[in-house]
Amino acid sequence: MTFLYDYVHYAGCFALVLIGLYAVLVKTNLIKVIIGIGLIDTGVNLFLVTTGYIRAGTAPIFSEAAAQGETMVDPVPQALVLTAIVIGVSVLALALSLAIRLYRHYGTLDLRKIKELKW
Amino acid sequence: MVSPILLIVVPLGLAFAVPLLERISKKLVGYVPVLAMAFNLVLSVVLLRRAVSEPIIVHTGSWQPPFSIHLVAGPLGLLLAALIALIGLGVAVYAMSTIREGATRLYHVLYILLLTGATGIVLTGDLFNLFVFFEILCISSYALVAYRGDRAGIESATKYLIQGAIGSSLALIGIGILYGMFGTLSMADIAQHIHSVAPFGLFMALALLITGFGVEAAIFPLNAWLPDAHSSAPSPISAILSGIAIKVGIYAVARIIFTLYGLETVFLFVAVLGLLTLLIGEMSAFSQNNIKRLLAYSSIGQVGLILFALGIASVTGVTGALFLVVSHGLAKSVLFLSVGVMITRTGSAEISSLDGMGKRMPLSALCFTIGAFSLIGLPPFVGFAAKFTVVRAVFEQTSTLFTVLIGVALLGTVVEAAYFFRIVQRLYFKPPPEGSLDHAGRGQEAPLSALIPIGILTVVIIVAGVYPGLFSSFLEPAATDLLDKAVYIRHVLGG
Repeated sequence: MTFLYDYVHYAGCFALVLIGLYAVLVKTNLIKVIIGIGLIDTGVNLFLVTTGYIRAGTAPIFSEAAAQGETMVDPVPQALVLTAIVIGVSVLALALSLAIRLYRHYGTLDLRKIKELKW
Repeated sequence: MVSPILLIVVPLGLAFAVPLLERISKKLVGYVPVLAMAFNLVLSVVLLRRAVSEPIIVHTGSWQPPFSIHLVAGPLGLLLAALIALIGLGVAVYAMSTIREGATRLYHVLYILLLTGATGIVLTGDLFNLFVFFEILCISSYALVAYRGDRAGIESATKYLIQGAIGSSLALIGIGILYGMFGTLSMADIAQHIHSVAPFGLFMALALLITGFGVEAAIFPLNAWLPDAHSSAPSPISAILSGIAIKVGIYAVARIIFTLYGLETVFLFVAVLGLLTLLIGEMSAFSQNNIKRLLAYSSIGQVGLILFALGIASVTGVTGALFLVVSHGLAKSVLFLSVGVMITRTGSAEISSLDGMGKRMPLSALCFTIGAFSLIGLPPFVGFAAKFTVVRAVFEQTSTLFTVLIGVALLGTVVEAAYFFRIVQRLYFKPPPEGSLDHAGRGQEAPLSALIPIGILTVVIIVAGVYPGLFSSFLEPAATDLLDKAVYIRHVLGG
């Protein structure tokens, strides 16, 4: 049980990534695929935060509790996640705007019907 | 002393100055990318001469590595930065006269951002920074592929975006795993301690990173987006995607394999993967009717050859791979740009519509022919010197396996020659369609501002082919920069 207790966050993150990957690979509606990409992003961001997490740690802000240093979580992954969130948002925004244009051209979001380009 | 950080800062600043400049004068907008790339070209060439002897390390915020984000402007990074700037400059001049419709201001902003991202990738020494620049490059290229907003453009951009987004997420997981194990993001610092952790986690991270960056590098099972995206994008963007974006992906993969890991067991895998990519790309290119799709598949083939040369993993092999990067970048941009002006003239991208172009647009057809011959590897063009270096590297190895593999790789070159000769034959030996020539029997050449950049890049192909020392004096230090892990670590971390 201690193994599960120690690694449950990681299991959660990868479950999110896998659910997202499932949605991207299996769903035929473009919006659902984009939601899948969003889920993958969230899973990855959670994973990054988890790598720097210490049990019962405080926020990495200069304060009384953080002055000792040992109980402070690693601030670097949090900085990375901020960047990754911004990148994720812009990718999703672009994806959704492409979906709108795609709908105007084809009148559908079903990916099985949108395949004029082939190998 | 000029800092290499200006190579990133100046284009980035100019990119966001474009919308402001547009308020003053609409004509100025097209000159901004030209200005940015000209600046980068001059600066990177000046710095390259210095970096050959000693890489320039830039610390940000006066923190010493491994604690800061740092730039490592070694011979390899600056050589690629110079190549990016050279091709970017040519394509920017070309785009001034050809990109007229739509939101041209946004086109120029995204174009500069794409090149800034590419320059950042080759210069950075920080793993997460690599990812950020990678995303700058990817997001601007998704948008640029969809620039014309037609059916094919939007569809291929969507496809490209979905695959690219998954690829970058995988790469980010890989980076997260490495950070979790090493507690640092500096590539030199990770490389130094790579043997101090459990191999399983390392293997996971390597697989995720190669898969993630391999999407952009168009390595075989991950390249389904490439033919669509490269053929549906506007011609200048096709040239940049084929000439630069793929190479930058290859650079990231090579940096991870050679510098970060230095794993000898991966090299054969990389070589075989490259060979598969090469054969599949060339075979598919052979059966295409659309000229831009043909060129896109040919890019896949060339990427395969570059990977194969990297897999040889000797100094000569990597020199050959980098030489191929340079020669393919030049040749493919000339091909896409000259095809671009021909397509604008005929309105069709079918190969059959190129009949008699040798009479209708003699200069563009000549440049196309030179680009194609260089890509095949005919002397006296630069492609010959590049392919020759790769073949030489294989025979230096004295390994039977690699001799067999290069035989298969050269078979790919024969296929390549077959389809390019077929096109060149159409250009010169088929009669032009009725009514395409005027009374004097002459066609109408492309506008001068489009011809000049194509011509300059073609001249570079010929000059570098006749005098390979122009590049090879920088290629060898660049190859050592990539291969010699210990020197890289010492330069960055000191001591």
